[in-house]
Amino acid sequence: MKGTKNIVKKELTRVFTDKKLVINLFVLPGVLIMVMYSIMGSLISKMETDIKTHIPTIYIQNAPEDLDYIIDAVDFEGNITYISSKDSTTHIKDGILKGDIDLLVIFDEGFIETIRSYKDVGDPIPEVRTYYNPSEDYSNAAKGNFTASVLHAYQQSLLAERLGNIEQLQVFYIDRDPEAGIIVDESKANGKFLSMLLPFLINIMLFQGAMGLGMDAITGEKERGTLASMLLSPIKRSEIVFGKLISLGILTSLSAVIYTVSVVVGIQRLADGAMGAMTNIQFTPVQIVQLFVMLIVLVYLYVSMVSIVAVYARTQKEAGTYVSPLYILVMLGCIMTMFSTGGVKELKYYAIPIYNGAIALQDLLVGELTMVKFGVTVGSLAIVAFLITTLITKAFNSERVMFNA
Amino acid sequence: MIQINELTKVYKLTKKQMMEKKTKKNMVKAVDKLSLTARPGEIYGLLGPNGAGKTTALRCIASLLKPTQGNIKVKGYDTVEDSQSVRKTIGFLTNEIKLDPQFSPRYMFGFFGRLHGLDERVIEERREELFDYFGIKDFQDKKIEELSSGMKQKASLAVSLVHNPEVIIFDEPTSGLDIITARNVTDYLKHLRDEGRTVIISTHIMTEAEKLCDRIGIIINGVLVLEGTLTEILDRTNTKDLEDAFFELYKIHNKEEE
Ligand SMILES: Nc1ncnc2c1ncn2[C@@H]1O[C@H](COP(=O)(O)OP(=O)(O)OP(=O)(O)O)[C@@H](O)[C@H]1O
Ligand SMILES: [Mg+2]
Repeated sequence: MKGTKNIVKKELTRVFTDKKLVINLFVLPGVLIMVMYSIMGSLISKMETDIKTHIPTIYIQNAPEDLDYIIDAVDFEGNITYISSKDSTTHIKDGILKGDIDLLVIFDEGFIETIRSYKDVGDPIPEVRTYYNPSEDYSNAAKGNFTASVLHAYQQSLLAERLGNIEQLQVFYIDRDPEAGIIVDESKANGKFLSMLLPFLINIMLFQGAMGLGMDAITGEKERGTLASMLLSPIKRSEIVFGKLISLGILTSLSAVIYTVSVVVGIQRLADGAMGAMTNIQFTPVQIVQLFVMLIVLVYLYVSMVSIVAVYARTQKEAGTYVSPLYILVMLGCIMTMFSTGGVKELKYYAIPIYNGAIALQDLLVGELTMVKFGVTVGSLAIVAFLITTLITKAFNSERVMFNA
Repeated sequence: MIQINELTKVYKLTKKQMMEKKTKKNMVKAVDKLSLTARPGEIYGLLGPNGAGKTTALRCIASLLKPTQGNIKVKGYDTVEDSQSVRKTIGFLTNEIKLDPQFSPRYMFGFFGRLHGLDERVIEERREELFDYFGIKDFQDKKIEELSSGMKQKASLAVSLVHNPEVIIFDEPTSGLDIITARNVTDYLKHLRDEGRTVIISTHIMTEAEKLCDRIGIIINGVLVLEGTLTEILDRTNTKDLEDAFFELYKIHNKEEE
């Protein structure tokens, strides 16, 4: 296997002495992913804080006298203009449409009198109407906050006045302390979120990495006529194949690590709160070993899948066309896991190559991957990859494939 | 020693290739029952027009292609049964096989030396000798993609000789080289012959065949139509120089095909 070692060394040298290639393969995509997610993240978080700090412009028609007092009591902030029933509301509604004004609240005329004169069922009940624009974030937030804090509080206080004792109305409480009721295993909850996203990302990134590199290292060399020079050397064809696969595997793993880290860092900035939990995730040593083995086997499979296509293709363009169905297949396998509800799956599913990689990763991240399932997954992936390797070696021995002869 | 015994090589064409060549046949018989022997201490020249089957025959000798029929022995090793030993024995040079453009001649020389299982010390000695002889030292550390085609040819030549092979198979070794370098190469081939190696080359340059080759085989449409020393060929064809002889043979044998 001395030939293999030499070939791996040469392939790695080739990539790492080529500044342009290094930048294109590793640096640029990583930076791009990070920048993209970061921009998205800062835009979203800016929007959120913006909405929080924005002071809404609100018009209130026919406001009852004590409303002012309530607004103060609940600490509601807003530029409030009070108008009477004589004032027209058309220009205010226009303002809401344009986004200059956030909310219009109209109390029925004689609102408070109607309420106070209520005696029995069938007596009139007045109405408060709110006008807002749901497609404007400010307006949406203003309507939500005003209803929840001001109107709700006002209603409670009027009810208390009518009944003397508000508790007569309260048949039961629901969750007076919502926080206290949450029972959750922290790492599992974090894992659940990760388990949806990460298997997908890891799989896609691995395959993409293998694709870019494999096309160049195999089809490209065939096109350039440099592969043939290796076929002339007195080493076994299988040594050449392993040399190619191992070097591709190393490079693919590296690019996958870079891409995945970029995505994770980027996403963390995207939704700091939700993903902040990510850092709490804890793996047991067994899980780490499982993850490592899984990734190695997945890299081996994807590299061999790409390589078999790359060997048979005559040009890189042709290779690109042939490999896309495989790419879609891998995507599909992963997407299926994103929409599955998790839960325990039967053992047989762990024997389906590609799909099993995604579900096993998912299980692993929530700490539910049993040794048996792990074994079945790794075994089936490795067998498929090995079969493909055998086919690649056959192709390297075929003059038709190697020399178009 | 190279012994070719009734070698026939047929290429199967894909539909696309058939369209490109505008033929209805899905086969091309590139080499047709070719038999020849090249001995140690001689330079054998395969002379033929474009498409005659020279490259195909040499690739078969180099174990890259398998004979459709017949067999080839290099130093007694069968090119199919014992291709590994054949590859150890030969140095092969052809246009279509190139060195990785992103590496320097020095790196590629070392790389193939290691694939041949040579010691670093031996590689260094060989590099010193060959790079000096072919004048590669000036650009030995430049990337191959930055070299002129003649420089590339020199580098390929040196790399093909890294393991000091006993049998040398060169497909148009002087193509793309200026006269000075071409002379350098032919001189080196003579030197190898004088050391007792077996050398077989292909060419369509008459003067090269005349001056360099000890024996010449003329190949037309895959068939070896005549073989011998220069004087033997001139005698047989009743001509004064190789060019005349070649045209004479071409007239007869190209008609036969049609
Ligand atoms: N890979 C291939 N597939 C199909 N046909 C081929 C292939 N390679 C060569 N041929 C055909 O085989 C015949 C012999 O080609 P070959 O390259 O051996 O000729 P040659 O003598 O080396 O010619 P030249 O002097 O132009 O290099 C030609 O008809 C050629 O078209
Ligand atoms: Mg040729």
